[in-house]
Amino acid sequence: MIVTPKIFARLAAIALLGVLLQISFFSRVTVLGVSPDVLPALVVVLGLLGGAMTGAVAGFAIGLLLDGSLVESLGGSSLVLLGVGYLTGLLRERFELRGALVAALACLGLTMVAELGFALVQLTLGVDAPVSLLIVRDLVLKGIFAFFVGWPLYIGLCRLLRAALVEEPRVTRRRQPAVFGA
Amino acid sequence: MYRKQARRRRAVLTLLIVGSFLLLTLTYGQAPGSVQQGIGSLFNPLADVADRALKPARDLVGWFDETFEARGENERLRDELAEARRQAVAGQAALNENGQLRELVKLDRSPVIAYSTFEPVTGRVIARSPIVWHSAVTIDLGRDDGVRVDDPVVSGDGLVGAIASVQGGSAQVTLLTDHTSGVSARVLPGGAQGVVRPEVGDPEDLVLDFIKAARNIGAGQVVETAGWRASGIASLFPAHLPIGEVTEAPVEEQEASQQVHLRPYADLANLDIVQVLTGGAR
Repeated sequence: MIVTPKIFARLAAIALLGVLLQISFFSRVTVLGVSPDVLPALVVVLGLLGGAMTGAVAGFAIGLLLDGSLVESLGGSSLVLLGVGYLTGLLRERFELRGALVAALACLGLTMVAELGFALVQLTLGVDAPVSLLIVRDLVLKGIFAFFVGWPLYIGLCRLLRAALVEEPRVTRRRQPAVFGA
Repeated sequence: MYRKQARRRRAVLTLLIVGSFLLLTLTYGQAPGSVQQGIGSLFNPLADVADRALKPARDLVGWFDETFEARGENERLRDELAEARRQAVAGQAALNENGQLRELVKLDRSPVIAYSTFEPVTGRVIARSPIVWHSAVTIDLGRDDGVRVDDPVVSGDGLVGAIASVQGGSAQVTLLTDHTSGVSARVLPGGAQGVVRPEVGDPEDLVLDFIKAARNIGAGQVVETAGWRASGIASLFPAHLPIGEVTEAPVEEQEASQQVHLRPYADLANLDIVQVLTGGAR
């Protein structure tokens, strides 16, 4: 991804809007008893589009914005999301992963990884209460929600950041004209 | 060229990781610093606007979800209504009796910590953490509205939590379901006391811990705040705030781990309007 000042402004606006939508909409609705978490999916899509560095920096910034906006301890979400962003970027760079379906599947898997990461950070810092097994249901459902969010998110961000994307030119085969009676 | 790029990439990644750990070390378990307060103050007006703008969409999703759940809840609610009717009749009789007794012994009508010393201020939830491990919401009331750290927060159904931090026009509420939460409570009738703690990941289940094994508690009993005061210190919460209803109280669990399970009255997953009890004497 070629990050010009204009693209940087777009990325910042996407991060801001993503965090705002998450804390005022997605976190406040429940579907099947679980609130969707779209921020890992947003980081995954940015990582797929921009590569490991873009993913890591976007993850760090989005995590920082999230924790800061909720006036919570800083650093925990940043650490998890930067890891998810970097991992997505690496997957894209090593295996040349592209496409909306790949994005949706990556959102599913890596949202679960992110939720596991949040759990790991919290358990490392100490939890003063018993933990319900429903946390597993929460993790799986968040992953499934991310699958459905990942698809349109990838297509939308592809369009929004088209100017910055380094795409290999599509190879289109021209059909040779058929000559009859030659 | 490639090596230089790889080195730069590694350096940025290391910087971000070290930065995250540093931030975590500096801010975890501390009162919110100026950075958090600053980001919060910038975000909260935006969150307030987004909250109002997105309310119809939230209500629509909520309608679908509630309709789906309501089918299963119908039967349970019928049973609860029948039980509530029985209790209402018994409660009316107890009220009459209570009034007569008060007249007889001229008891002070105020409880241990008078609820009337608090001034309720009504506000709206404007943001919520997406991480299940941090059960907290942001409300549109702040220092300017008289809100202070540790003020109790209630909804129309019962206790919700307490204020964790306050800015000028907003505040963060730690919910009963947060792993750091603990409320001293009493079971009615019977008066068995314990501490209500959450079970992380399940917003509809709380645990009343440290109860005496000798007290026999059954499903359906009401749990309210105990509101104790001793040696100049007092509970954060006034007495008699309803918390929830006992759902499971197996005798084995009571004897082995001295705990029972309860369902909070307040719908902690879908909070919208809350009241902060400000100005209490603490």
